[in-house]
Amino acid sequence: MGRWKWIVAATGITAALALAAGGALAADDVIKIGAAQPITGRFAFAGVSINAGLQDYINYANENGLVKGKKLVYIYEDTGYDTDKAVATFKKIMAKETPVIMYGDSTGLGKAIAPELNSRYKVLYGSTSFSSELADPKTHPYSFISGPTYSDQFGILLEYIAKNHKGKGKPKVAFFYSDTEFGKDPIPYARNRAKELGIDVVSEIVAKAGAVDVTTEVLALKKTQPDFCIFQGLVVAPIPQVIRTARDYGLKTTFMGTFWSMDTSIIDKLGADAEGYMGVSPYAYYYENAPGIQSMRKYNEKVNPKEKSRPTYYIQGWFTGMVYVEAINKVLAAKKPVTGDNLKDAIGKIRDWDTGGMTGKVTFVNNKAAVGRVYRANVAKGIFEPVSDWIYVK
Amino acid sequence: MRIGDFKETYAADEAIFRTPAVRVWMGALGAAMLVFPFVAGDYLLYLANLIGVMIIGALGLNILTGFTGQISLGHAAFVGVGSYAAAIGATRLGLPFYLCIPLGGAVACVAGTVIGVPSLRVKGLYLAIATLAAQVILEWVFSNWDSVTGGIRGINVPPATVSGVPLDTDFRVYFLIYAVAAAFTYFARNLFRTRVGRAFIAIRDRDISAELMGINLFRYKILSFMVSSFYAGVAGAVWVYFAKVVTPEYFPLSLSIQFLAIVIVGGLGSIQGTILGAIFMTLVPELLKAGTEAVKPFFPDAMSYLFPLRDILFGAMIVGFLIFEPHGLAEMWQRVKRYFALWPFRS
Amino acid sequence: MEDFLQMVASGVVIGGIYALIAMGFVVIYKATGIINFATGEFMMLGAFFCFTGMTAAKFPFAAALLAAAMGAAALGALVERVVLRPLMGKATISVIMVTIGLSSIFKGAAQLVWSGDYRAFPPIFPRAPVTLGSVILPSRQFYPFLISLASCALIALLFRSTRTGTAMRATADDPQAAFSMGIDIRRVFSLSWSLAAVTAALSGVVIGTMGGISPQLGAIGLKVFPVVILGGLDSIGGALIGGFLMGILENLAGGYLDPLVGGGIKEVAPFLVLVAILMVRPFGLFGTREIERL
Repeated sequence: MGRWKWIVAATGITAALALAAGGALAADDVIKIGAAQPITGRFAFAGVSINAGLQDYINYANENGLVKGKKLVYIYEDTGYDTDKAVATFKKIMAKETPVIMYGDSTGLGKAIAPELNSRYKVLYGSTSFSSELADPKTHPYSFISGPTYSDQFGILLEYIAKNHKGKGKPKVAFFYSDTEFGKDPIPYARNRAKELGIDVVSEIVAKAGAVDVTTEVLALKKTQPDFCIFQGLVVAPIPQVIRTARDYGLKTTFMGTFWSMDTSIIDKLGADAEGYMGVSPYAYYYENAPGIQSMRKYNEKVNPKEKSRPTYYIQGWFTGMVYVEAINKVLAAKKPVTGDNLKDAIGKIRDWDTGGMTGKVTFVNNKAAVGRVYRANVAKGIFEPVSDWIYVK
Repeated sequence: MRIGDFKETYAADEAIFRTPAVRVWMGALGAAMLVFPFVAGDYLLYLANLIGVMIIGALGLNILTGFTGQISLGHAAFVGVGSYAAAIGATRLGLPFYLCIPLGGAVACVAGTVIGVPSLRVKGLYLAIATLAAQVILEWVFSNWDSVTGGIRGINVPPATVSGVPLDTDFRVYFLIYAVAAAFTYFARNLFRTRVGRAFIAIRDRDISAELMGINLFRYKILSFMVSSFYAGVAGAVWVYFAKVVTPEYFPLSLSIQFLAIVIVGGLGSIQGTILGAIFMTLVPELLKAGTEAVKPFFPDAMSYLFPLRDILFGAMIVGFLIFEPHGLAEMWQRVKRYFALWPFRS
Repeated sequence: MEDFLQMVASGVVIGGIYALIAMGFVVIYKATGIINFATGEFMMLGAFFCFTGMTAAKFPFAAALLAAAMGAAALGALVERVVLRPLMGKATISVIMVTIGLSSIFKGAAQLVWSGDYRAFPPIFPRAPVTLGSVILPSRQFYPFLISLASCALIALLFRSTRTGTAMRATADDPQAAFSMGIDIRRVFSLSWSLAAVTAALSGVVIGTMGGISPQLGAIGLKVFPVVILGGLDSIGGALIGGFLMGILENLAGGYLDPLVGGGIKEVAPFLVLVAILMVRPFGLFGTREIERL
């Protein structure tokens, strides 16, 4: 039994050395991007699209030589949106491929891996998360958010409300969120910001995502008659029930959502009740005509002609790829080696970057690019239409 | 059956490692475990650490369910209590790890007593349902008692330090985890050589007879629950030093079910079985993953089926073991050993 | 006051669903002594069967519902034959774990077949809400409630008045006596599981029409435990009344306690009630007083 162990160990070490040598030979011309993606599990509805977007952009960048002299290699694995598995997958990819850039599937992974990311792995880390916790450069120096955090998104909506409120007195707003990290993340900031903008937060309602009966929650809304109600931490259920029941009770509230509940598929799910549904999106939609979106569409027509439309999650993946490439190019332009440390510094140097109208002008401050646009649902066409300019939040 | 194996003293008869051969194998196992972190890759180390934590937790559950016959569906919640207690001890009270780990165990033990006292007054199915309620309630407390547990954000915990050296890599934490696991396995194995352990087994086998023999059912059941919760708390505390963050999301009902699965697949009432079960249940999903990757050239979509397949496999293993091998892996292992003990003679 | 009535009314509606799930659960427990932890997954599968019937086979709702019920019945009988019969007489923990294992298999299988996405039923009921006095009931609550009420009545009728129902009650009471009277116990077991699967499927459809379906729908099956403990594990009438009571209680807790606690109390209140009942009156409102106490 003991002897076997040494044979196995020796073989393992030799193999590892060989791989490392082989890897080192090819390393110079290749930049590896690893990803722990939620392709199955609770987040699969978005994970599949995000992965497709990121993968497609990397292929697009390779095809068009956007990174001179280097080839981007994308390696991804499924995590099932389980934090333990995500951490294990992250470590596995780091050990096997030693990428300089990683993508993570959740806020949970970002938090769990932070100590080792900061001390040992030191790679540029993007993720699906818009959590303000990951946007803290002191605790998460290697992370960045693909746009505005949830707090920023609330800030954008609140600014819009303050500017566009018609009627006497202060606008009345309700926050309707799930009792999860995702739901509660922006609320403290949102309360303060509302106060600053002269908005009255008349009620805060907490519900379970996917709840079946929302009577008590909507009754709480009825009691306070808010002009606007912002959803957070909910993707679909129970948003349709809440809106429907509210309309049944005769409420005239305008409902709004943040990124994950602003995909056009929600308009189908809401049906006629989608009338007046608004929200904030950091990205333009697939059917809009900005140049950045058009090149995305052209690429898709070539490579995936069967996909007639892509959800907003796809654009998040694509945009993240753009950020990666922009950071890589900045590092190469400064004639520095492509390492996690240099890449993360490069992110901080991105200022007023024009993404061809896919987003507002991107400036990364404190790991995030706090810009987005307010959209309203057009039920007849089944799409979201912009009702504001790109709003920048401090 | 061992030939030529006779004992001359009671102590020798009661020993855990009875023959020189067993002692040699145990020594080899110990040596292999010491060498393992030096040769294993990052990923394997991570898995090994996870297995270590699951062993501690599952041992606790086996003491309660396998040896005392009490069903608990809330084990993960007690692991969570231990985790939070240790995390609070480490961050807010600034205690070192060798105090936080027992603290986690103790707090979980208290929680277990609080829940056990009303629940153990009723039997069988009712205890299962009561522990299920405990699981739901504790999960809610983790998420909502913001001032103590940090609510949804949870608590970030600095790594344990051993005389100035921080245990911040999987390599270093491995030794902590397995030191604790070894100690607790030893304790569990010894527990069932004592009067208390035998009382547990008597209660499991036929509690009315146990009562007739003078065993105070309620007291021993509570004791079993307390021991089990202590184990769960320690598992949670050790896990905190491994993951360095604790949030409510880590302790769902599915974790309780995973512990139950480990105990059942490994073999109820067998310490060895628990260890085998923990290894098996953690490695099988990895094998499945490797399988889907191997199949990728033929079925490019295989990856997206990984997690549903894992669920099905998990359920199928539980059902399969219960129907075909109710005494679990421990029994399978014993069968293998028995076969080779008499080979090539008739088994 | 108006709010109170509204909450009670909604509580009755959701309570009807809980009652239906609980009835199925009690049927199995009474007949076979097994606690079925896979109740939620049977619900989820029933909802998916109906959904597939409506979208893929383009059945009208009533036909799809019937198809779902039949599919569930077949599944229940299959489960009983293949998985539970070999375990008859084994320890409680084994049987509980088997049902848990089954729930995992069902969830994985559902994800394979229908993917993890959240689906909404095509519109089935008229859009306008139903008004009863000062109480407004959304159509998506009211009509499904009628379905659950009808199902409960049907099952109660089955148990009381048909021969099969009597046979099931006899077997539940004393299997050996029933056997010696010539009742085919195995058939009764099969039927019990089929019946339980059908009730679960119906309640799954009801919940699906209210809130949409996904493979995670089964999680609501956990709510059945507070209901049956409240009503009594082996009382069908108890399941009915317990269901309604639990629905009302949940809503009232949510309405009055949420502002104090910061939300989310609707999920935990039923379980707090469960613990309280176990401490005070473990056999529930209508269960048999046979619990052995220490």
